[in-house]
Amino acid sequence: MQTRPSIDFRIAEVNGNTQRLDTNRTLLADSGLGMDSDITTFVEAWSGNRLVGCAGLAANVIKCVAVDEQLRGENLSARLLAEVENLALARGHFHLFLCTRPCNRERFQHSGFWPIAQSGNNAVLMENTPSGIQRYCRSLQASRVPGKRIGAIVMNANPFTLGHRHLVEQAAHSCDWLHLFVVREDASFFPFAARLKMVKAGVAHLPNVMVHEGSQYIISRATFPAYFLKETGKVQQAWSEIDLLIFRDYIAPALGITHRFIGSEPFCAITRQYNDTMHQMLAGTVMVVEIPRIKATGTAISASEVRRLLKTHQFSRIREIVPDTTFAHLESHYSAEVA
Amino acid sequence: MKIVREALAGTMESSDLMVKIAPAEGELDVVVHSEVIKQFGDQIRKVVNDTLRAMEIRQGLIIIEDKGALDCVIRARLQSAILRAAEGTEIDWGKMR
Repeated sequence: MQTRPSIDFRIAEVNGNTQRLDTNRTLLADSGLGMDSDITTFVEAWSGNRLVGCAGLAANVIKCVAVDEQLRGENLSARLLAEVENLALARGHFHLFLCTRPCNRERFQHSGFWPIAQSGNNAVLMENTPSGIQRYCRSLQASRVPGKRIGAIVMNANPFTLGHRHLVEQAAHSCDWLHLFVVREDASFFPFAARLKMVKAGVAHLPNVMVHEGSQYIISRATFPAYFLKETGKVQQAWSEIDLLIFRDYIAPALGITHRFIGSEPFCAITRQYNDTMHQMLAGTVMVVEIPRIKATGTAISASEVRRLLKTHQFSRIREIVPDTTFAHLESHYSAEVA
Repeated sequence: MKIVREALAGTMESSDLMVKIAPAEGELDVVVHSEVIKQFGDQIRKVVNDTLRAMEIRQGLIIIEDKGALDCVIRARLQSAILRAAEGTEIDWGKMR
């Protein structure tokens, strides 16, 4: 029998301690990988005093998995993943996602991960259950409403502005039914529960709109890390594609969605690129309708402007660009001195 | 027994298996992945199904990632995972063999 070098597995918290991560960075670089800034914990494989493998965990997303070239073929990546799964479960995450290069797809398929969507040769998103996305689609099917034109909007609504309301109204008027998804990820200034509440209150006057809580499969840290990390370039393009493929191949068919509505994006480069990618990826399957942003006092309304005004307590100006329902929320949560 | 929480048991080592269990309402979904599915798939499924029946598991998502484990190992790992995932820990060892 071949003797295998003994491997110790260790758990390393990042905790801003970037200096000790230099070895991880080198190991990742050898595999052509960069280090993602949202990783909080690494599971490391040590052979004596040498780091020979690592796998990063950011909430319920596994990424930055690398194994020393000399130890490949020893099934070390599978052992690393098992360690990460145990660690994640201990922290309350059972449903895990894994981002990797398509060339590793098969290896991870032998370690309990199932592919969801792949962007060319750049990236593939996998999950640690064979029925995650299918189960989610089945739950969506319960909300299916018959009709000729079924619309969809995905929004973060951070917070819900008059611009968002205009987009929803326009879309709702041109559709038999509109499914409105609120991004679930709690990476924004306003927590998910508050954003959901503001959206629900803001569209309550529209009878053909259904507000859905977003999920891991719609612009989440798993499907679209760039949106939250604000990285640029190829990585972001790949993840836009993955997010849109999931929408096109799973979510739209589950709900019978025929149209997706977006607001034009004059400010954020990432959102603008996402919109462009959407036109390409959904072409021929779901009609993409881009609705120009409405303006107030000269410039297009944006949620980031509201957040800026909130920081400087300019409530009278906020009142001009958000619906009364949102204003009531902001007033009761963020202000003591409203004029 | 009823599965009320997620649980894991086992490893990805050769000759072992990893069992993942999650609650699922109203259905029993058993997924078996094995390196030796072609030779021993039927036998592995039989061990799994017998164990689930003996422990009276009627609903849940059971995922098995087998790396060529022996029957007794499959049974032991599955039992561990179920006990971690189920409520009520009164175990009738006689039933479990």
